[in-house]
Amino acid sequence: MALNLTRRKFLQTASLAAASAAMSGCFARQANASTPFVKKPFTAPGSFAGTKTAVGGVCEMCFWRCQLVGKVRDGKLVKLEGNPKSIDNGQSICARGNAGVKLLYDPDRLKFPMKNVGKRGAPEWKRISWTEALDECATKLKAVVDKHGPQGIAIFPHGSSAKYPMTFFENVVGTPNNSEASFFQCRGIRDTAYVATLGVAPGENVDMANAKAIFLLGGHFGENVHVSHLKRYLKGLENGAKLIVVDPRFSASVSKADIWVKIKPGTDTAFLLAIMNYLIKEGKYDKKYVAEHGKGFDEFSKGIAHATLKWAAKTCDVPEKQIKQVADMLAANAPNVSIHPGRHVSWHGNDFQRERALACLTGLLGAIGVKGGFVAGKGPKTGKAGWPKPMAEHAEKFALHKMAKVYKFSPPGTPTDLIRNAAVTGKPYAIKGFVAWGQNPIQTVPDQALTIKMLEQMDFVMVCDVMPTDITMYADILLPESSYLERYDHIQKGTQWNFADPHQQFISARMPLVSPTAADHERKESVWIMNELAKRMGYGEHIKVKSAEDMINTMLKDANLTIEQLVKEDGIHLQPGVDPYGKALDVEFHSAELAEAGYPAIPTYVPVPEPPKGFARLVYGRAPMHTFNRTQNNTWLHNEMPINPVWLNDECAKKMGLKDGDTIELVNQDGVKSRTSSVVKVTPGIRKDTVYTAHGYGTMNKAMTVGVGAGIDDQSLITKVAVDPETGAHGMRNNFVKFIKNGKVLSIPA
Amino acid sequence: MSQYGMIIDLEKCVGCHACAIACRAEWEVPTGKDSAERERRRNWVTRLGPTKTPKGLASTYYPGLCNHCDKPACVDVCPADKVEVTFTDAKSGKTKKMEVAATWKDPFNGTVQIDKERCLGCGACADACPYSARYVNEEESDPKADKCTFCVERVAEGLEPACVQTCLARARIFGDLNDPNSEVAKYVKKGAAKLESAKVKIGPNVRYYGNKKDMHLLTTTCTPQAMPQANLRRTIMAHMLKPAMDQVKGLGMLGLAGAVIVKGLSDDEKE
Repeated sequence: MALNLTRRKFLQTASLAAASAAMSGCFARQANASTPFVKKPFTAPGSFAGTKTAVGGVCEMCFWRCQLVGKVRDGKLVKLEGNPKSIDNGQSICARGNAGVKLLYDPDRLKFPMKNVGKRGAPEWKRISWTEALDECATKLKAVVDKHGPQGIAIFPHGSSAKYPMTFFENVVGTPNNSEASFFQCRGIRDTAYVATLGVAPGENVDMANAKAIFLLGGHFGENVHVSHLKRYLKGLENGAKLIVVDPRFSASVSKADIWVKIKPGTDTAFLLAIMNYLIKEGKYDKKYVAEHGKGFDEFSKGIAHATLKWAAKTCDVPEKQIKQVADMLAANAPNVSIHPGRHVSWHGNDFQRERALACLTGLLGAIGVKGGFVAGKGPKTGKAGWPKPMAEHAEKFALHKMAKVYKFSPPGTPTDLIRNAAVTGKPYAIKGFVAWGQNPIQTVPDQALTIKMLEQMDFVMVCDVMPTDITMYADILLPESSYLERYDHIQKGTQWNFADPHQQFISARMPLVSPTAADHERKESVWIMNELAKRMGYGEHIKVKSAEDMINTMLKDANLTIEQLVKEDGIHLQPGVDPYGKALDVEFHSAELAEAGYPAIPTYVPVPEPPKGFARLVYGRAPMHTFNRTQNNTWLHNEMPINPVWLNDECAKKMGLKDGDTIELVNQDGVKSRTSSVVKVTPGIRKDTVYTAHGYGTMNKAMTVGVGAGIDDQSLITKVAVDPETGAHGMRNNFVKFIKNGKVLSIPA
Repeated sequence: MSQYGMIIDLEKCVGCHACAIACRAEWEVPTGKDSAERERRRNWVTRLGPTKTPKGLASTYYPGLCNHCDKPACVDVCPADKVEVTFTDAKSGKTKKMEVAATWKDPFNGTVQIDKERCLGCGACADACPYSARYVNEEESDPKADKCTFCVERVAEGLEPACVQTCLARARIFGDLNDPNSEVAKYVKKGAAKLESAKVKIGPNVRYYGNKKDMHLLTTTCTPQAMPQANLRRTIMAHMLKPAMDQVKGLGMLGLAGAVIVKGLSDDEKE
């Protein structure tokens, strides 16, 4: 009989033991003859003790993809660390990266192929074999293609492992209806706006580490964490760079800023135009750069002449002298300034223009190809592998935005809104097959009710993921995928993060850190799943790679590498790099291409709807311990921030009778209430017309036993969609909320 | 003699919580069940503000861990029997014998450590710490007190503490405060501050460095203002139970009292 004593029991039984201690005399005699008490080790051994280091990990807790090593003991992953050989993240990984272990061993993970024998949205799951699952998926998807054409299928992919299935459906099946919503709603606008202005997609290619001034529009670094990205930012600050942050909220970045522009949401383009107009009027721009590389500068300067400091001050609710101060600070430090292109940029439906303005400001300051400016590192080359494109032309022909002649600057794929509308209305054609792969459209696309309506009218819904999410509740067949720690699937490459360091390039490939084979599950990697489906759907002849491993080896071939060689090199191949500086880019201040397409040829401010009386604008952002909804079920990450407090201005809170920490719900302008509650965070660090919370909380899937119902799902309150006319991306910050406390609706005072 | 210490540079810290999670992974730290446990365990980050300070609006972080104090409040309250232990200085090889209970301050590196083999799991040390930097690991079958060790086990292997290694901002700096050339000592000279108040002066060896408004926010909200009241019930019970526990262990659960205790426990299981 073992003594299994918990502390609680220990305390509860203390009195009993104390009573028995009176008899201690007899015990003392017997003790000598007793068997020795066997102690268990009480100390965790630490990740360094008795572990083997597995190399070749590439993180996917977010999509920055830091390079990892795994500490493995007895076949179990004990800890993840940054790969010491990395010239990108180095030995550092973020909270989410560190918590990858808990995703790997999350008991709620999808384990077996499942068939929904209940309803979509209220599933009852029956375990089925892979053969049955694949047969059914293939039959049902093929039936859609046969009946409605390839365009009858919509795919919602996200992440490394979804790329192979995505290109299969686009290129081989031939559907244009690919909504990489998480890219589309995130960076898509930025990419097409910069391409239209500077000819290149910007990435996050600002050399912040060597900048004299850094300009962030809504960037909340610290709350938004990407390791090497933040290293650049922090290095810049350490070197004395001035930091200007434009944000309605006192964000993590504002707390380090020299200037906080507490802007009225939606007016950013007006702010940028006034800065540019002022710089031009005062002759404080880079005349040489503009003369050599500017296009349509005269039209541009005339076209923005109306944007005076006074006008912008009124429009943006920012002091006139502060706009001047920002402009002067940028000019004084030009050209070594980082005008950050932003990341999640679909805000108000006027976002393409704002991104254009940012690109123009970069050009106006001559901050291109120079230290601290807009500079892309020159990474190494690797090859491609995947699917041929027999049906690419068909897909192109049925692209909804092209058929309707709208959204001419749309990012790759089809605007989500058009896919959803076509599905719901059946016009211009029916969309009856739905595939989500690693994406949770319930929480990436506004108007959940409409998304659900789209799902309900489908003939077939297939979802493949690692974890249950809100979308998995709507699957007919649910397929379990191996996690990023158990599979091959991605080449990560780049340069050293600080361009001031010797120029280097790296190539790494995601390799399994632990074996996915275990008795209690049947997870598979995406290339296997997709190939099996392709064969069953009759597309077997197009298969070019046998497995994910084969795919990676093919891609490495062009770099004269193999997986084996990468392992020998501790997971990362390093080679000499090239100086990234010195490349100028032409700047389309006035774009004939845009004019021809019927859009404003110069960056233009388009006002956005104001909050109705009693409401404040709902703005959302990121928390450093979560990647949207994807990480909500991670025990460690949940523990760091279990709910998402809603920021409310302190003066408003006082008038509303709300105290910091009060439990609240939210209700939006359309009367939609949050399904769950959160707490209010009362702070002077936010405008009165704005409330803020972290995105991704409040999942409704009970299969996420840790995350379910925790905090408020901001997406559920985003029912009004603002569509960006150039790109078709959804602006998600034109929704307005009131608070509810104890069932009573509280208006927000102006 | 060394005094290991840590500096947390709030000018660099971005509040990403990587330190807290790396610690959790390294030492299998339980997550705790209620919010109080959640906030103060082994290694934590608490976001402060944005709030008004006399120096302007401020927002910063309180990344916390055991302070490995000069006069640790947790050591003397440990009710475990004292035993003689020989300590060795890693640098000079010098040894020193000391009578210690289940927790002590190392005479050579200044860290505060626990012998979990001898810990009773009573939680008296956790109650005594004004920084709430100790906890009892309830997830173990036999709960024991635990705390930050400054990763001395890793340091002995030539590694950095887990929280320091993962910090992307290099905002956590670990080293010997008694070495004037160490980076930590240089921060002390620059004015890195202890979280100490008039009534809590036990010489913490974790210090914070930041701008005036952030430091104002941190020190006014996170400095303990009073030493915790000892949990009298728990202390008395620990003292009462200890001799009986020793005997039960020695008996291998034989004997009348053992049977009585086991009966009590199995009744408890049924609750």
